[in-house]
Amino acid sequence: MNVIRDSMKDIRASEELKRNTLEYLKEQRRRGLKRLRRLTLAAASICLLIFAGGYMVYARPVSYISIDVNPSVELGVNCFGRVVEADAYNRDGRDILDQVLLKNVPYLKAIGRLLGDESVSGYLTRDSRVFITVISDSWETMLKEIGRDELSEKYGAQTYKSDLASREEAHRYEMSFGKYRACLELSQYDGTVTVEECHRMSMGEIEDRIKTCKGHGNEGEGGGHQRRNQRRSNCQNSESDESFGSAESGGDTGNDGSSGSAGDTGNDKSSKEPGNDEYDDDAGSYGSHEGHHGHGH
Amino acid sequence: MKSEEDLNRAMEAYADMVRRICFLHLKNKYDTEDVFQNVYLKYLLYDKPFESGEHEKAWFVRVAINACTDHLRYASRRKWVPLDLIEEEREVLDDTSSEVLEAVLSLPEKYRNVIYLHYYEDYPAVEIARILGKKENTVYSWLSRARELLRERLGGEWV
Repeated sequence: MNVIRDSMKDIRASEELKRNTLEYLKEQRRRGLKRLRRLTLAAASICLLIFAGGYMVYARPVSYISIDVNPSVELGVNCFGRVVEADAYNRDGRDILDQVLLKNVPYLKAIGRLLGDESVSGYLTRDSRVFITVISDSWETMLKEIGRDELSEKYGAQTYKSDLASREEAHRYEMSFGKYRACLELSQYDGTVTVEECHRMSMGEIEDRIKTCKGHGNEGEGGGHQRRNQRRSNCQNSESDESFGSAESGGDTGNDGSSGSAGDTGNDKSSKEPGNDEYDDDAGSYGSHEGHHGHGH
Repeated sequence: MKSEEDLNRAMEAYADMVRRICFLHLKNKYDTEDVFQNVYLKYLLYDKPFESGEHEKAWFVRVAINACTDHLRYASRRKWVPLDLIEEEREVLDDTSSEVLEAVLSLPEKYRNVIYLHYYEDYPAVEIARILGKKENTVYSWLSRARELLRERLGGEWV
């Protein structure tokens, strides 16, 4: 034993001190849990917000690509160049979308998968054509990349650009905007063709018919106005004037876009700006058309 | 966070020891209560497991000494003068104890710690060195110096 021990043995924690401390700690624990819960909730909501925001940015398509062989498929591409939407516009297209996974892959890869898929290769005979139509703010870059892509080169894809208004118009006829653009081009040369007819035709048939019409010449250079009127009555027979108006403008864009095709460098696209809706100027129209016709074979 | 059970057990096991360490450093019961609660709050929030009861006890010693030192540093900036703790405890202490304790409390802080840990908690010098994070030889020299000082004050009865 020693004096230190003796001297201190009576120095003890009083019951009161212990009780107070335990109560204090209980209070702290409650407060801590409450704070923790609040903190967790805040952190969780911030995470959710960031996640939801990110997802919304990711899931929003900024560009659209329409791929038409006979199967018609439209891809929505987000700002990261990935496919976030894929819609089919005919039965062949639906069959393919059932088999091929296109979502969340870069769009070039998606096009590659589409054209490389067996069920599509079946359509890629000598007579068929691959049309790739793009709606995008940076359509030039996209078309360049698509043109550079091995597969579209292999299948002789022809590339065009279109715009959102035409897309809306096309969807009203339950058509992909790529096919609609081709229809409008055809209706420019053949005023008798109707939307319903276009619907039934494959892309190869449409192109062939365009070629035929063009091969026959334009049946008199001065007939532009007349032909347009004719088309108005034939192609749009069941439509209101208003919808025709937008169809007309869509046609211009399509025509205009033909100059954006990959192998088409010789044809200067600036020669026709969008908003130039004078395709009754036959010479200009003809030239532009020929330009796109010449490539992709 | 420690469970209610752990807390109650630790309160039973170490309350007196923590209280004594507070006594060695602090001047009144308000400070003591503050530091005491702080030590147990740190325990409540301490998430790592203890290897053994000994480890846990050493943790309490370490944390209590640190808490006292921190409190003193904070208290030294205070304007008011605290009551003398020994006066508060006078009623429970007999004369000899008071005398010894006064002598112990008059020692510098580092001597107070080693004296307490060695003579009351029976820690060998090696352990004290580990708990306080000092060299073993330092602890030995503190101990012998502290003993010398106490002998001077208390005379022959000090062994």
